[in-house]
Amino acid sequence: MDKVLSNKKVIALYILPSLLLILAIVYIPIVLTGYYGLNEWNGIGAMKWVGLDNYATLIKDEDFWKSAGHSLLLAVFSMVSLIVYLVVAMVLAAKIKGANLFRKIYLIPMLLSSVAIAQLWLKIYHPTNGIMNSLLESLGVANPPAWLAETDLVLFALFIPILWQYAGFYILIYYAALKNIPSSLEEAAKIDGANSFQIAWRIKFPLVMEVVKVTIVLAVVGSLKYFDLIYVMTDGGPNGSSEVMASYMYHKAFKAYDFGYGSAIGFFLLLICLIATYIIRKATASKDTIQYS
Amino acid sequence: MSSTTMKLGGEAKSGSRIGMKVGYAVLYIVLIAVAVFQVYPLVWLMFFSLKNNQEVFNLSPFALPSPPHWENYSKVWSAGNIDTYFLNSVWITVAATVLTIVFGSLVTFAITRMKWKLSSLVLGLFMVAMMIPVHSTLIPLFSMFNKVHLIDNPLSLILSYVAFNMPITIMILLGFYYALPKEVEEAAVIDGASIHTVFFRIIFPMTSSVLATTGIINMIYNWNEFIFVNTFISSDKFKTLTVGVQNFIGQYTTDWGAIGATLMISILPILITFLFLSDRIVEGIAAGSVKG
Amino acid sequence: MFKQTKWMTVALILSLAVVTAACGNNNNSSSNGGNTASNGGSSESGSDKKVTINFMHLWPEGVSAGQNKIVNQIIDDYQKEHPNVTVKQEVLDNEQYKNKLKVLSASNQLPDVGVTWAAGFLKPYVDGNLFTPVDDLLSGELNGKFVAGTTEAYAIEDKTYALPLEFNIAPIYYNKEIFKKYNLEIPTTYDQFKTVVKTLSDNGVAPIALGNKDRWTGSLWYMYLADRIAGQETVANAITGKAKFTDPGLQQAATEVQSLVDANAFVKGFNGLSNEEAKSEFTNGNAAMYLMGTWDLPNFTTNEDIPQSFRDNVGFFKFPTVEGGKGNADSWVGGPGVGLFVSENSKVKDEAKAFVQYFVTKWGEKSVTGAGVIPATKIDTSTLELPQLYIDLFNELNKASSITLFADVQLPANAAETHLNMIQSLFGKAVKPDKFAAEQDAAIAKGN
Repeated sequence: MDKVLSNKKVIALYILPSLLLILAIVYIPIVLTGYYGLNEWNGIGAMKWVGLDNYATLIKDEDFWKSAGHSLLLAVFSMVSLIVYLVVAMVLAAKIKGANLFRKIYLIPMLLSSVAIAQLWLKIYHPTNGIMNSLLESLGVANPPAWLAETDLVLFALFIPILWQYAGFYILIYYAALKNIPSSLEEAAKIDGANSFQIAWRIKFPLVMEVVKVTIVLAVVGSLKYFDLIYVMTDGGPNGSSEVMASYMYHKAFKAYDFGYGSAIGFFLLLICLIATYIIRKATASKDTIQYS
Repeated sequence: MSSTTMKLGGEAKSGSRIGMKVGYAVLYIVLIAVAVFQVYPLVWLMFFSLKNNQEVFNLSPFALPSPPHWENYSKVWSAGNIDTYFLNSVWITVAATVLTIVFGSLVTFAITRMKWKLSSLVLGLFMVAMMIPVHSTLIPLFSMFNKVHLIDNPLSLILSYVAFNMPITIMILLGFYYALPKEVEEAAVIDGASIHTVFFRIIFPMTSSVLATTGIINMIYNWNEFIFVNTFISSDKFKTLTVGVQNFIGQYTTDWGAIGATLMISILPILITFLFLSDRIVEGIAAGSVKG
Repeated sequence: MFKQTKWMTVALILSLAVVTAACGNNNNSSSNGGNTASNGGSSESGSDKKVTINFMHLWPEGVSAGQNKIVNQIIDDYQKEHPNVTVKQEVLDNEQYKNKLKVLSASNQLPDVGVTWAAGFLKPYVDGNLFTPVDDLLSGELNGKFVAGTTEAYAIEDKTYALPLEFNIAPIYYNKEIFKKYNLEIPTTYDQFKTVVKTLSDNGVAPIALGNKDRWTGSLWYMYLADRIAGQETVANAITGKAKFTDPGLQQAATEVQSLVDANAFVKGFNGLSNEEAKSEFTNGNAAMYLMGTWDLPNFTTNEDIPQSFRDNVGFFKFPTVEGGKGNADSWVGGPGVGLFVSENSKVKDEAKAFVQYFVTKWGEKSVTGAGVIPATKIDTSTLELPQLYIDLFNELNKASSITLFADVQLPANAAETHLNMIQSLFGKAVKPDKFAAEQDAAIAKGN
């Protein structure tokens, strides 16, 4: 039995093609990014080896740390929103009338490309004729804020569409996980007199725990390297108040022609993701995994 | 949403009957309100695609322009190559998605269900691979594909899509594989099934709901991707639909209505596929016929 | 599931891989020098050999129909006259174009002919030996064909590396109807201008449409104020590092920017609006004035999407002079827009150059009437049927005493980024004029 499940040839056959592909397509760029980060390079001319200079600059770069703070904040918000997504998924997975239709409708926004989502939210946030401010004005708010121009609001104004954009993604995963639980379990619990809340908390939650753990990692890593909507909607502005690590990296590498420094940021970003993942896995590690039985 | 609103089934006990009804009413009001909010983007996009620039910026996003600018759609269709782009989008998306799911499942199976020393190291390698920002990869990948003569070749796109979506696919599969009871394959192996049979005949079908999930996610990512297309592809005959959007972004002006029409056209196939795949999710483990 | 040692191993592998790559890369950087270049060249050059010229540009058929049509016409004609030449186009939008150009250069794979911007944008490519000088064309058939001062923006150390296709200046467009409604005259002095701003603002009309998310838009306002107060020379010197932004006149300009912000001169939320959103505030009659390049002229003359009643009411005026300032009203901010380069490593360099020469000439003949683009080559406006706004601006162009290149175009990339960020901060009142000046000086001193 163990023999079959530890057959080296089969393992190699299953793992190697994918592993080699990843090593070639993803690891070579990772390694080269690390290497570029040790050079002064504008991306065009000759490289000049500068060792860890870029990293020394990075450690002292206030703008970078500000953007890193924004990314971390997004990561925290994403993690917290997972709770909401899970609750929504539980409702959708429950046997209520129309759940099937609601599920489909709820997931529609995730089909939209970032270009479309950005345009929609730009229309919502427009300072004078946007949906948000028209609404506020009709409610009697005299001078509603210009959401994307206010340095202390812009980041949170951007978080809303970002979290919304990914809601479908996580709801979908949770939904699939919940649907994967054999219904016999739920029925057995009901016969034992458990109420819906108890079923959700005592039975369903533990069974989707592994999936939840995975989504925490996905949410945090995804947030730390988040780029799309921020780039389109504010380009990190005003005054860098919505800059995140990935947009800062892009600005340095592609706008300021500082590809060496940009690569250092990219590599550093990877290290931060690595550390964050390590912490999450430590924090959520459990001795034994729970399986359907 | 409180625990009361979570109550299921209609057979409430008499004492809390009114409470139940109120709870249900509240639940449905919330559900419908959110649903309206979630559907609105599609309606908005439809309206958006019928406006000209002047109307895009000045009319309320709720308003349908009069007359509607249907010519935005004809503009998009006549702008040339859109059919080629469309076909390319379809086959590249399908190829990359299928490859990612099959290979991702194989890897996840080997990592979670088989016993070998380096499994967690290999898993670590896959996880690290999703941590690199995409813009860091462009220059190295271009020069690499250039060396192996894959520039301006759709293979460069498929390889990149599979490689970059593989980690996230594996991560999602992981949570599901861990929850599968070990007895499943133990029983099969004792009955003398080969490992391939265990995977392809038992585990793979059992995970159909998560496969549909990762299928949807991969499909959306691949369908909407444009950075790699722009960087690796230069001939029109290999470009995909996302390029159609660019056709309307000019040096100093952008034709937003036409972009809306392009987005609308490109969302339809994915919407249909999504509706189809999304029903597959429901048939989870129960349909996979497992022992209790 | 993860043991610490496993993670250490991952880290170790990564670092090892970095070292390996370091060695590996040294090898190929030397081979890079050996010109692996140009995906295009299908043959060695020779008079009647079949050649393919790869041409990358940013005029997609969908939105830049005018330009795209001209490009295709020129290419068709050229291919007819030179049957051995095939010109292969690749079209990207502005943003994607710039990114791709950068990626291509890193691998030494530039197209044979492509579009570039002037000065600061061009410099790294020239330093990296990727663009070839085109002085032979300039001293040859194209001698004297360009408007004075346009090709210079593409010159680095006495050699010119691209030929300009556009030439723009930036006037202040205004809505005549709004001005009439509030009995406003065209301001010629800055004090009058401030009165106009105050009257409009008091009456609840947004005086100026500005989309400063894009940052270069705000830079235009600062540049003009700097020019009018400190004089053209000081501005030019500060940008090249010969003078400092801490110059009192230049700092005063920064102070003036902030007092305009205080006077509610700009539309609400300007720092979060794109130029395009701001433009619509002007074209829908919500804002009275709009400072922008002449590239927007089609929107105010021929663009059918914009109501005729609005287009009939657009006028322009020159940026007003500041009392006691050193600048004059005929000094403009502007300059050439895009130009064409020929790749140094092109296998069909001679053919590419010939094509560029042909292209620039034909473009000059067709661009105003065909696409509303003012070319950098001299044109005889008397023979062309043009809207009055064009004619008036052509006349202004001919009278111009000096044209200061857009700061973000002229500055090297890194300094340009600092300048633009500082502009947004200045308008957002996140920096004081002294810090605004100091940061830019520091960035310019770094020289990259």
